[in-house]
Amino acid sequence: MATASFESGAAAADSRPKVLKAALQRLAKKLARSWPFIAFFVGFFLFWEYSIDWFGIPAYILPKPSEIVTRSAADFDRLVYYTYVTGLETVLGYVAAVVIAVPLGLAIAFSSILRRTIYPFFVSIEMTPKIAFAPLFISWLGFGLLPKVIIVFLVCFFPIVLNAILAFGSLPEELERFVRATGAGPLRSFMKVRLPAAMPQCFVGFKYAAINATVGATIAEFIGSDQGLGFYIQIVTGNMRPDLAFAGIFLLTLLGLSLFGIVTLCERLAIPWHISQRRRH
Amino acid sequence: MGSAIELTQVSKSFDTVDGAVHAFGPADLAVAPGEFVSLLGPSGCGKSTVILMIAGLLAPTHGAIRVNDRPVAGPQTAIGIMFQDNTLVPWRTVRGNIELQLELRALDKSRYAERITRMIKAVRLDGFADRQPFELSGGMQQRAAFCQALVHEPDTLLLDEPLGKLDAMTREGIRVDLQALWLERRPTVVFVTHSIEEAIQLSSKICVITPRPGRIDRVIDIDLPWPRNLEVKKSPAFAAYLGVIQEIFHGYGVF
Repeated sequence: MATASFESGAAAADSRPKVLKAALQRLAKKLARSWPFIAFFVGFFLFWEYSIDWFGIPAYILPKPSEIVTRSAADFDRLVYYTYVTGLETVLGYVAAVVIAVPLGLAIAFSSILRRTIYPFFVSIEMTPKIAFAPLFISWLGFGLLPKVIIVFLVCFFPIVLNAILAFGSLPEELERFVRATGAGPLRSFMKVRLPAAMPQCFVGFKYAAINATVGATIAEFIGSDQGLGFYIQIVTGNMRPDLAFAGIFLLTLLGLSLFGIVTLCERLAIPWHISQRRRH
Repeated sequence: MGSAIELTQVSKSFDTVDGAVHAFGPADLAVAPGEFVSLLGPSGCGKSTVILMIAGLLAPTHGAIRVNDRPVAGPQTAIGIMFQDNTLVPWRTVRGNIELQLELRALDKSRYAERITRMIKAVRLDGFADRQPFELSGGMQQRAAFCQALVHEPDTLLLDEPLGKLDAMTREGIRVDLQALWLERRPTVVFVTHSIEEAIQLSSKICVITPRPGRIDRVIDIDLPWPRNLEVKKSPAFAAYLGVIQEIFHGYGVF
């Protein structure tokens, strides 16, 4: 017994540095691949930092990145809270859009009457800039959370629903026939074939919507709001504080990147088999 | 004994914007149980349409089809069917794809586990059972698709140019596999092809179909020994069949 535990302990101790070494190697490989991007990124901010002095640009026009960081730190609490406010609007609108648009897209794909009525209606609305509705919703519903959620919803809804219709309506003919020839019922054929086959195209819509979600929230806040990062950027710009405006912009970028990152992660988990997800060796 | 598949005065027209296009027939055809019948004809002669009609996936405009002495009035679930583009799904492994056929039919997978292993071995895919389709070559994918189409032990197989998209060498290899599978269990097979040589090599009977609108012009029994290996393919009898059928298509103006 003692010998056995001694052996397994020794084995574990032996394998730990190996695991660490493998992880380091992976990291090194990643760095080796992405260093041009990192170098460009660092170079961009260094250029920004030093060109302000070189060209003598006043801070009330364009601040240095270092000034943006140090000065906005004073406003940290407000920035964090406003990030939460805008983030909440974005996430609620986005999730509502996914929850409603996917089943609706499915229904439209399989119902010929819906395909001849709602579908062309949606396609024509897709041409309308949804953000044009923002003043109306704010005049109807006030300055609160709800009109912003609705505007984010509108911005996200159409790309998701249109891609879902495409996704569920475009099963390859051969697969369609294969499924029919097995005599499988609608639920079984949906779960086993139609749903997984539709996922990649659905994610095209999810990702497109994720990119645009923060745009909806920001512009809705520009139009009528008393909190949130869009509101903040407008106020501090009016006060000649571009440093704080940039802080707001960076946080919005972070918000957008986080949402997109989460959706991309979900995609990787949901469709690891898809050509877009295959690891390049 | 009745026919496994019987077509009586079957024809098919498609409605298009320019009016009805007559695609196939009228044609009669009787396939006996255990026969390997090829539908041989040029592109666009309606061979695939015949397969879809027998499978119950497409209704004939006129005429009647019977499979195993029962009229076809909807998708035929007791058959195995294969198309030019395989029906492997990218989110499942080779084994998973074969199991998909069973799952869609609500059959007990565990009862087929051994059979699947044997089939994978028979088509020389051992070691690839847990690979995704994209990791396989076109020929390997098509061999996996054979297993998918056959796993539920159908006694009728409809093969719509399953080798159509493969290169000549891969085709030859898979023909051998297909023949071995057929000789082992003797299912009834209807096989669509536009390769004369392929039809002679595989079939017990060839239906020669005219260019559009397709009609079954001649039915030729191929009386050559099984298995039709290289020896048989080099025989004068094989060459004679080839010559006769080439002559027929030359007469149609196909070449």
